[in-house]
Amino acid sequence: MSVFTGSIYSFSTPQPTRAHRHFHPNQPISRRWRQKSSVITCCKRTSESMSTEDYYELLGVSFDSKPQEIKEAYRKLQKKYHPDIAGQKGHEYTLKLNEAYQVLMRKDMRREYDASIGSKSRNGFSGLGHSAWKGPLRPQALFVDENLCIGCRECVHNASNTFMMDEALGSARVKVQFGDDDEKIQVSVDSCPVNCIHWVDKEELAVLEFLIRPQPKEAYGVFGGGWQRPSNVFMAAQFFQKQLKQQESDNHNKRKTAQGTVQETQAQANARATASMKLQMEMFSRIWTWVKEISGSKI
Amino acid sequence: MAEQAYTVASDSETTGEDKPTTPYPELAIGIDIGTSQCCVAVWNGSEVELLKNTRNQKMMRSYVTFKDEIPTGGVSAHLSHEHEMFSGSAIFNMKRLIGRTDTDPVIHASKTLPFLVQTLNIGVRPFIAALVNDVWRSTTPEEVLAVFLVELRAMAEVQLKRVIRNVVLTIPVSFSRFQLTRIERACAMAGLHVLRLMPEPTAAALLYAQQQQQVVHDNMGSGSEKIALIFNMGAGYCDVCVTATAGGVSQIKALSGGSIGGEDILQNVMHHLLPNLDCLFSSHGPNEIKLMGLLRIATQDAIHELSSQDSVRVEVDLKNGSKINRVLGRAEFEEINREVFRKCENLVMQCINDAKVNVEDISDAILVGGCSNIPKVRSLVLGSCKKEEPYLGMDPLEAAVCGAALEGAVASGISDPLGSLDLLTIQAIPLSLGICADGNSFVPIINRNTTMPARKELSFTTARENQTEALIAVYEGEGTKVEENHLLGYFKVIGIPPAPKGSPEISVCMDIDASNVLRVFAGVLMPGVRQPVQPFLEVKMPTVDDGHGWCAEALLKMYGSTLDLCTLQKKMLQ
Repeated sequence: MSVFTGSIYSFSTPQPTRAHRHFHPNQPISRRWRQKSSVITCCKRTSESMSTEDYYELLGVSFDSKPQEIKEAYRKLQKKYHPDIAGQKGHEYTLKLNEAYQVLMRKDMRREYDASIGSKSRNGFSGLGHSAWKGPLRPQALFVDENLCIGCRECVHNASNTFMMDEALGSARVKVQFGDDDEKIQVSVDSCPVNCIHWVDKEELAVLEFLIRPQPKEAYGVFGGGWQRPSNVFMAAQFFQKQLKQQESDNHNKRKTAQGTVQETQAQANARATASMKLQMEMFSRIWTWVKEISGSKI
Repeated sequence: MAEQAYTVASDSETTGEDKPTTPYPELAIGIDIGTSQCCVAVWNGSEVELLKNTRNQKMMRSYVTFKDEIPTGGVSAHLSHEHEMFSGSAIFNMKRLIGRTDTDPVIHASKTLPFLVQTLNIGVRPFIAALVNDVWRSTTPEEVLAVFLVELRAMAEVQLKRVIRNVVLTIPVSFSRFQLTRIERACAMAGLHVLRLMPEPTAAALLYAQQQQQVVHDNMGSGSEKIALIFNMGAGYCDVCVTATAGGVSQIKALSGGSIGGEDILQNVMHHLLPNLDCLFSSHGPNEIKLMGLLRIATQDAIHELSSQDSVRVEVDLKNGSKINRVLGRAEFEEINREVFRKCENLVMQCINDAKVNVEDISDAILVGGCSNIPKVRSLVLGSCKKEEPYLGMDPLEAAVCGAALEGAVASGISDPLGSLDLLTIQAIPLSLGICADGNSFVPIINRNTTMPARKELSFTTARENQTEALIAVYEGEGTKVEENHLLGYFKVIGIPPAPKGSPEISVCMDIDASNVLRVFAGVLMPGVRQPVQPFLEVKMPTVDDGHGWCAEALLKMYGSTLDLCTLQKKMLQ
């Protein structure tokens, strides 16, 4: 009946989404919100279902996996979690599986999804940090260089809402940015015996947090393998940022090429000119082609 | 026998002898209630076994005879002659009648059945009656079905020596959710709990998945994906599905179905043989019923003969002076039923299109159901799939029930050490689900062929200034207007804060679980407020009752557009 314009949504800020989340605590967040400002993203990261949001992670496949692999993974998981087998408790999980499968199996939707999760497709970087934010965004954020951390637990002791221990790795990590008041945080930063808690720009945070997580090392038969992380995470971050930019500009160029905005070659220009001339001079075109034919045959 | 179920024995008294012989007390059995025939199967620990009745039959005619006081079904009763079934006292074709209103064309076509079907054409349930001692005694399809199911249950309980409670039933694809509730109702009347309702071709698909896995096991080959088209046409319904099978998982890609079947072919041929059939039998007297029965049997036999030979002679003595004595050729038969065959072909094509598969990728075309013997049906399905030969690995009449028994075992949580039950069927939704919005448009929320379980959410908004209530009317179907679809239920979202039209967000979410239960959630979200204004409503659908044909009209008359909703354009959000 009525036709709506975008204006309705100018004030329908992220809040409704959070209400949605409240409504379906486990439903994967619709992709459209991802593209909004980072404020929302950060609010969302606090929700527990975040880890399942990544469709690739959910299906246990790599970003460059072929549809066949996705299909197999999907079937394998379905056989484990489908309500027919797992009972009613498999319902929520199967819903997520179905959604992930649907998106990843359709080329156009997968491309859109890949774009929405950033330049993740190549190297597993999502563009999002691992820590959540409490309160408003600030220009600075906390980062623990886990290479240096000796696992003294001082920081966790002083600001338990901000820091957490990763028991598997034996190092501390930021759980919630500014989870405690400024004073407590300052105490914990100062209390670190090896000074491994750094204040970093919030733009750098995501890359740093991504890089400090141990990555699987490529294995050659029985050699190699295992996990590794860069020894100097700050240097690595700089390099990584550069790579990302390069990639982005590459993509940008590619898109430009696709849109045909690149300069046409001389031959193409000529062809186009000929074509438009043909169109303009309908009357002459027949003679023109006839002349061309004649000249062509002579040659 | 019946009393024994109520005796309670203390733990100490139960000895080994009393224990059921089957190792799985809660195992669900599979039942395929066909329009004309019916069978029961169960997983016996190593394979699927079809249960036989006392006369050693696997396939039992689906009918119930009303005689004297107690109705008896076709499971155990023995008809002295087939004509007895057409004496007016037997009710059959329940599956064509169940859950339909008297405006339904299928009901109107059923008026030539040899019992009483009355209609008022206003959207209420039809009046159905059986002739008992020269009195038309009314009954309902649910009741007839329940009587029949009680007999099936008793038969299975005697054979399996345990109480049967859970069943997996096969159903036609085109059944509306309201019809499914009627089936569930009949089962409840018979003391059975429906574990799953499986569309018939998907049951055959599960059997196919098992067979394919067996082949892989035997050959030690890789379990590559196979795509199969399953065409199931019985007496009442025609269903098609496309399944992708690998590693024992049957993933339903698309479903399509319609209420056309052998019964329509039979009607067409009967009308062809006796053009003034309707007016001859309009009075439904006992004599007419008998003649109708005679004509029915003769036509049925002729159609069966035509599957194997080119022409058949039909001889019926209609006693009132007229006689039918003529030769019916196969070409003539195909011409009479051209419309039926065209519809079948459309269903197949639609299914292939919906599944988004290339015809060349279809590995097997599986034909099941009684009508799959008709040469024309075979050729059109094989032609659509570009196949020379149909898949020969399964019995066309038993495939569906075997699949249902497999699903019964899988969903009951039974595993097989040899891996024969390492199966899964991933079902899809056969009909789109949505609500009425933007006037009388049908706005789908879950589209058909969405994988189950499914959950989708859509936002709507108010259509008027300061609207405080909104009507959520849930429909099922493919039409763009709500009138073309089945009404499933309705409820009001109340307590919307007064606001300019278009600003409150009314969120409607639909959730279907693996046992095909539909729940609709709805609530109001105001811009800038985190929590919903009122508690969300959760409604299990369908909520409509009999006479639902009237509901939609009544709703429109009563409320008009005052409680209207509008769809929010999702694109604006991005």
